[in-house]
Amino acid sequence: MEEKAPKTSFIGQAWLVILLALLYGGGLAGVQLALGPRIAENKRNETYALIPEMVPGAATEKTVELEIVGADGKNVRVYKAVSADDQHLGWVIPASGGGFADRIECIIGVDATLSVITGVYVLDQKETPGLGDLITTADFLDRLKGKATDLPLTVVKRNPQAANDVLSLTGATISSVAVCDIVNNAIANTQAPLRQLASADAATPKQD
Amino acid sequence: METVSALVLIFLSAAIINNFVLYYFVGICPFLGVSRKIGMAFGMGLAVTFVISIAAFLSWAFTFYILRAGAPIPTQVWALLGGDPETTVDLSVLSYIIYIFVIASSVQFVEMYVRKFFPALYKSFGVFLPLITTNCAILFACLEILKHLQDPMNLWGLHEALALAIGGGIGFTIAISLMAGLREELDMCDVPKALRGTGIALLVAGILAMAFMGFTGVDKGLANALAMLSN
Amino acid sequence: MAHESPTALERFINGILPENPIYRQLLGLCPFLAVTNAMAPAMTMAAATGFVLIAANVMVSAIRGLLKPHLRILVFTLTIATFVTIADKVLAAYLYDMSKQLGPYIPLIICNCLIISRCEICASKQSIKVAFADGVGMSLGFALALASIATVREILGSGSWFGVELLSPEFWPAWGIMVLPPGAFLVMGVLLGAAEWYGNRKKAAAAAQTSEA
Repeated sequence: MEEKAPKTSFIGQAWLVILLALLYGGGLAGVQLALGPRIAENKRNETYALIPEMVPGAATEKTVELEIVGADGKNVRVYKAVSADDQHLGWVIPASGGGFADRIECIIGVDATLSVITGVYVLDQKETPGLGDLITTADFLDRLKGKATDLPLTVVKRNPQAANDVLSLTGATISSVAVCDIVNNAIANTQAPLRQLASADAATPKQD
Repeated sequence: METVSALVLIFLSAAIINNFVLYYFVGICPFLGVSRKIGMAFGMGLAVTFVISIAAFLSWAFTFYILRAGAPIPTQVWALLGGDPETTVDLSVLSYIIYIFVIASSVQFVEMYVRKFFPALYKSFGVFLPLITTNCAILFACLEILKHLQDPMNLWGLHEALALAIGGGIGFTIAISLMAGLREELDMCDVPKALRGTGIALLVAGILAMAFMGFTGVDKGLANALAMLSN
Repeated sequence: MAHESPTALERFINGILPENPIYRQLLGLCPFLAVTNAMAPAMTMAAATGFVLIAANVMVSAIRGLLKPHLRILVFTLTIATFVTIADKVLAAYLYDMSKQLGPYIPLIICNCLIISRCEICASKQSIKVAFADGVGMSLGFALALASIATVREILGSGSWFGVELLSPEFWPAWGIMVLPPGAFLVMGVLLGAAEWYGNRKKAAAAAQTSEA
């Protein structure tokens, strides 16, 4: 093998690799064509399927996706929740922040004027199993439902008294605080632009 | 200042708090296989750090400019070929193949470098140097970088990718060196026959992982501290 | 190994227990420890790895006559990476939640030393039938090993099996540590020790028999 000149023929040596590369590339392109739309659909449904839960009465197919500029100057993608008969019911805002262990991703449902929290859902978290990961349960998230947004949510360990008090999970105060912080920051960040959009909407007469 | 604190957080998170070996379970094969002697383990850790940095640099460049949905180079090529400029060109299905080849090339490059400048080290490594190609930690770093290049509103720059890679490599070095030190001590202990070798190494790794769990939540505190500093 | 190459059936049985990829060969440990905190992700990972292993074995065996010695690892890697991409896309399309849970560990199958070593040792030298049997046997062995650890971790850590609650929280305080990284190391260490102990006992019994005879 080594007696021949070292660069015998690049093609002669590598033709199989090149052929396989083309073959596999074609195969993967085919897989992408076949499955790509389905995967995109799955990703979209992750948020869209939850919108009726976050803003009661909203119809998924009527949802409008918008990009606004938040108070921190960065773009935020929000979803306008619309009912089946074209009533603007509220907004769904995806947000994320640092939890105890890693990042927590949530979506927050608010009403059209951003004055009441209509629902919170935790999409992704890596908190401690059995303790912090109970932030995904309805038991905890229901404590945030119906809270007014005029004051930021405060986590208390017992006896919630004020309207913006949220009872923390036993043994998972930091995770509870993390979720409330994420909700507070998201609302503070998007309040001004979304309220502006909502009032502009109400001002322009609907063209049917 | 905010960029620096973000970079420090990414680095510390990859190195200690979410250590690649003890939290994400990548790089276990060399972790258990090469951790008999501290000198060898430390050398392996540094080699992996070197490879992971080069691989991260190359895979970030490939992903940012070519592979992700709507990347600049394929979009321009498509426009040149007369295609509709509105379509998003998405080559991300080729990501894994490109990454594994980037890693293999990085290992080759490092191998040539070590062979030329540190021939004694090259000899002592033997077959373990080319085996770095199958080290999950490097592919894992590339995959993390891919994950952070998916959301067009929040793309990671090269500096963040390198912070993750170097942090991960150093975390791997810390873990493997700790393990080597522990195993050198274990060599002088009376270990039950069934557990000798890999069994006891795994049990010790479990206790080490438990110790590292103590770092959870440190990044949150650190983020708050850094935010207060920059204010 | 035998002087003549093992038959397909022998390879198949070999892969399940005698040369079990995890307990005997210690290959493919990374995904092994990461996904075994419950049965469902563990079995999905076993299925994905099995698909890649069998497909890669068959493909490499089909082209074994054309492989150049110094480029064969390249060909193996290319083949494995392609099939892993296919497995990943299929999972993302049909089992999206599971795919999210398994996250980066499916593409890490590319680094699974088991598959490259089977391609090198068996598929590149044997016929398609034997390579296929080898792939199936090794996959079953891998699945068995994953199931053993996942069962222990899930029952002790969450009191359930495959998501079905077996031990209610009043009777069994769930050992959270089992579901976390350290639990994986500890359980695997203990099970590996048990496998070694059993193997040593069999060897001692066989040695005692031959010395008596």
